[in-house]
Amino acid sequence: MGDIVVLVKPALNPDMVRTKPDGSIDIDAIPLKLDDIDANALELAKQLKSALGGKVVAVLLHKWGSPARRNRDLRMVTQEALARGADEAILVSDEKLADGDQIVTSQVLAEVIKKYVPEYSLVLVAEASIDQTTGQIAGRIAAKLGVPFISYARKVEVADGKVKVERDVEDHIQVLEAPLPAVISVTQEINEPRPPTLIQIRRAAKKPQKKLTASDLGITPQPKKEVVQYRILTVTRKQIIIEGDTLEEIAEKLIQALEKEGVI
Amino acid sequence: MASVLIVEGSIGEILESITVAKLVGGEPVVLAYGSAAKSGDLGSIGARVYKLDAIHPDPIFNAVKKLYEEIKPIVVVGHGSKNNRDVLSRLAGLYDLPMGTDITKVVEASDSYVVYERGFLSERAVAQEKVPLPAVLLVNAKVFEPASPAGASEVVELPVEEGQVKLVGRLEKQLSGINLEEAEIIVGVGRGFKKKEDLKLAFELAELLGAQVGATRPIAADYKWLPEDAWIGISGKRVAPKLYIAVGISGAPQHMAGVNNAKIIVAVNKDKSAPIFKFADYGVVADLYQFLPVLIKKLKERKGQ
Ligand SMILES: Cc1cc2nc3c(=O)[nH]c(=O)nc-3n(C[C@H](O)[C@H](O)[C@H](O)COP(=O)(O)OP(=O)(O)OC[C@H]3O[C@@H](n4cnc5c(N)ncnc54)[C@H](O)[C@@H]3O)c2cc1C
Ligand SMILES: Nc1ncnc2c1ncn2[C@@H]1O[C@H](COP(=O)(O)O)[C@@H](O)[C@H]1O
Repeated sequence: MGDIVVLVKPALNPDMVRTKPDGSIDIDAIPLKLDDIDANALELAKQLKSALGGKVVAVLLHKWGSPARRNRDLRMVTQEALARGADEAILVSDEKLADGDQIVTSQVLAEVIKKYVPEYSLVLVAEASIDQTTGQIAGRIAAKLGVPFISYARKVEVADGKVKVERDVEDHIQVLEAPLPAVISVTQEINEPRPPTLIQIRRAAKKPQKKLTASDLGITPQPKKEVVQYRILTVTRKQIIIEGDTLEEIAEKLIQALEKEGVI
Repeated sequence: MASVLIVEGSIGEILESITVAKLVGGEPVVLAYGSAAKSGDLGSIGARVYKLDAIHPDPIFNAVKKLYEEIKPIVVVGHGSKNNRDVLSRLAGLYDLPMGTDITKVVEASDSYVVYERGFLSERAVAQEKVPLPAVLLVNAKVFEPASPAGASEVVELPVEEGQVKLVGRLEKQLSGINLEEAEIIVGVGRGFKKKEDLKLAFELAELLGAQVGATRPIAADYKWLPEDAWIGISGKRVAPKLYIAVGISGAPQHMAGVNNAKIIVAVNKDKSAPIFKFADYGVVADLYQFLPVLIKKLKERKGQ
């Protein structure tokens, strides 16, 4: 059986939003990190690998601004994907592919899979990313590859060339079955990814890494979506820390404050 | 007149999406699946309706694809439910259509493009984007006024065409039926609680305040200590109480996105550098296991007076 592709997004870290003096968002100054639920997908790949017998390949596309200024972040995210269980990593980074939309992202990622991991049996994608949270990459890629798609997996089992998935829908869980190869989007509940150990981090440095550009892929997809503007959502909270010598005093002060606000 | 294809699993959502169709200036054509396909109200919404007796994505996708090719809509619109995101992202992938998801506002619409707003950076920011038509638009709940049912509609039943993914079982979720959206006060619980039984502290506090108990995603969806309808955040419920008391919650943007509209936020967390304190009006740096009993005692005294 075949390889497992895990799509890993080097995402903008929403906990470290940076703004320019004029108040606009400074995308270039926001650090990149390995997207949260992609860690769950890597953990799942590690578990399924023995059942499928292939290798785990992480595929990453750089998408925010000039890759040159992001070298360090990209290296870190790639290393982390390897430390979290990928056997190989393929990083696509090219000025020409940066700042694209989901059409660009899905065309590039599907092309990488077809060209460089043709023997795949599963493509694992996160249900949504932390920066854009569109949740549309998995479905787009399934359509492009022309293989079965199952979204929002909370449990995945493979056996006899088939995959069985518990899929989360709002008010119930569907049990679905599909032949391989297939594309699956995973939820955060599917497992609890463990942070990589020191040994795993050290081993990661020796694993194969490939770097690709648009010309390697032979495509330069064009975005259709245009960003008109990004603006920061200013939450104006009072941020008062209630202090006191005892918890009684703090509780008393809190109750008084809430009474004054008229909310209790 | 150009058409807008509406894809929905519930009647209420169909009516909101008809409003979006009118905004874009297209004739609504509806594909109703799931509970919407079974609704007795389908015949009176005043639009051409196709109904499909299916709840899993492959048959819905096959029907959407057929209708898309047949009526060539300028926009495909629906709410961001899991089934919709599944089938419409495939449609977008198949034809390389631009797709806007979780839309909170339509800024401008014409017969060649739409400008809309959506969350960015886990809703710490807002993105305004412009897409050429045809496009797929997934809107958030309650952003658009539902259209009033406009009279008799022609309802055509579509055959269920299975794909390669088979539905082989169904598991029910235990839901409590609480309506957090209506709650005036909510006590939110997070992973600061060490075990399910300890949540009784939160319930005792909630009872004294006449509050409901909500939770972060791991508490509701992963540990299942509370039913999933207690899940608050970007992928759960969006609430707007006058008071939100977050206990043992770190303040991840995906959680806070659900409580942005609370009037007052209180945070109880033992880690003084927890992000939640930046997003709270009043913060208490303390161990919840020590602080909640004291707060409960004080509230009881106040009640007794
Ligand atoms: C795409 C996506 C969507 C998501 N959607 C949602 C969503 O809708 N809703 C949601 O909630 N999350 C969501 N998440 C998850 C989110 O990122 C966080 O992981 C989650 O909100 C953290 O939950 P928590 O605060 O309970 O746990 P933690 O982050 O583990 O925080 C626990 C906190 O408790 C404090 N604590 C520990 N012990 C004590 C004690 N004894 N007394 C007081 N304080 C204590 C700690 O200091 C810590 O700050 C989503 C994530 C992604 C990637
Ligand atoms: N640039 C990218 N490189 C690799 N994987 C990606 C990229 N963008 C999106 N993905 C995958 O698609 C998921 C959902 O992303 P999104 O559609 O932005 O919510 C991510 O968590 C990744 O698994």
